[in-house]
Amino acid sequence: MDYTFQFTEVFKELPYLLGGALVSLQIAFITFWAGAFIGIFGAVAKVYGQRVSKRIASSYVTFFTNTPALVQIFLLYYALPDAGVLLSSMSAVLIGLTLNAGAYLTEILRAGVISVRRSEMEAATALGMSRLQILRHVMLPHIAKTIYAPLSNFFVWLVLGSSLAALFGVEELTGRAINVSTANLRSSETFTVVAAIYVILTILASSSLALVGRLAFRVKAKVF
Amino acid sequence: MFDQITEQLPLFFSYHNLVFILQAAGRTLSMTIIGCSVGFFFGFIIAVIRQSSSRPLLIFRLLSIVYVETFRRIPFLVILFIVLFVIEPLMPGTSLFGIATVSVCLLSTAFLSEVIRSGLESVPAQQIEGARALNFSALQTLVMVVLPQSWKVIIPPAAAFIVMFIKDTSLASQLGVIELTFAGKMLVNRGFSSVLGFGVVLICYFALSYPLSRFAAYLERRLASS
Repeated sequence: MDYTFQFTEVFKELPYLLGGALVSLQIAFITFWAGAFIGIFGAVAKVYGQRVSKRIASSYVTFFTNTPALVQIFLLYYALPDAGVLLSSMSAVLIGLTLNAGAYLTEILRAGVISVRRSEMEAATALGMSRLQILRHVMLPHIAKTIYAPLSNFFVWLVLGSSLAALFGVEELTGRAINVSTANLRSSETFTVVAAIYVILTILASSSLALVGRLAFRVKAKVF
Repeated sequence: MFDQITEQLPLFFSYHNLVFILQAAGRTLSMTIIGCSVGFFFGFIIAVIRQSSSRPLLIFRLLSIVYVETFRRIPFLVILFIVLFVIEPLMPGTSLFGIATVSVCLLSTAFLSEVIRSGLESVPAQQIEGARALNFSALQTLVMVVLPQSWKVIIPPAAAFIVMFIKDTSLASQLGVIELTFAGKMLVNRGFSSVLGFGVVLICYFALSYPLSRFAAYLERRLASS
């Protein structure tokens, strides 16, 4: 074995790779908020809904949490054209990951909705608090405490999950890593550097999320 | 679209296609089972090392923290590529299935060690101190005091993670391991409608992971009340 590692070849492409990291973050950010939008409706339907909406919400969650996102996006990307819908690779990935995130966020947000006890709301009403005050002083602390840590973990998971966009030709961090490694033929070095970028990126993301949580919601979220 | 699917149905569900899909499902399942067993074994060792406070183990403790935090923060796809590019020159001729299984092992060790560690931490410190006062050795404390109480905390999230690993193995199709997703791609390449090909694969994945997640939910309810 006489192989010399040459990281300089990879470091030349560092700005290009970091641009890809930005795309990964964007994908995670968009799917997170779009998924949260679905998740709020799903969670409310699962907790307070009628029988039909409860059934719909829980079958949505079981279907999307028990099948791989990759195959779901394959279906969106390769099967929808048969029905006359042509998606670009980026929008197929975004839609697929959003539907996936929606299912997981339904479960996370449901725990938050459950954590508010009806008796506490009644007590707050009895004390003459307005709706906004109840939301701010009674509901939000409970919800934040139960769901903040899982939410920030889930965001990190989405950053990692966005890597499968590379398989559809989206040029985010992993996609650009594949491009770089096919150009400079330094595959192991390139992917080591990319792994390091992912580690740094997610540590930055979770520590800033923990900081926001501590300052804004008084939640003690752990980074490690 | 529907005409095409109904036309292809008898050809799609021929005996040899079914055997092909079942073999692929078996490969998916065996990657997960091997990966999780190895992951449980090493994850347990890592969790115990991280729990211990002895000074000679300090270096191992640091190493295991670095290992866990690194592999929890790298996408599975990138782990697959790294393992491929590291193993291939060192051990030429390793099967792609082996490479994918090693990647699943690396991933599951990191995640399951965190699950096991939170299980070990759930046992109150007084009990461990009590065991020490009764002159239990470290191993005896672990086996007779900590484990009987912590497996209840470990099993439900561990089952949820195993479901995640089943789904993650779909990325191994990118290496060329003939597991479920790859089988779906091959069937679609052979001219079957992609709705049919990927739809059946999706159903197979669901059939593999749904019983497990139901089991996890059942255990969570059952063990929480007791």
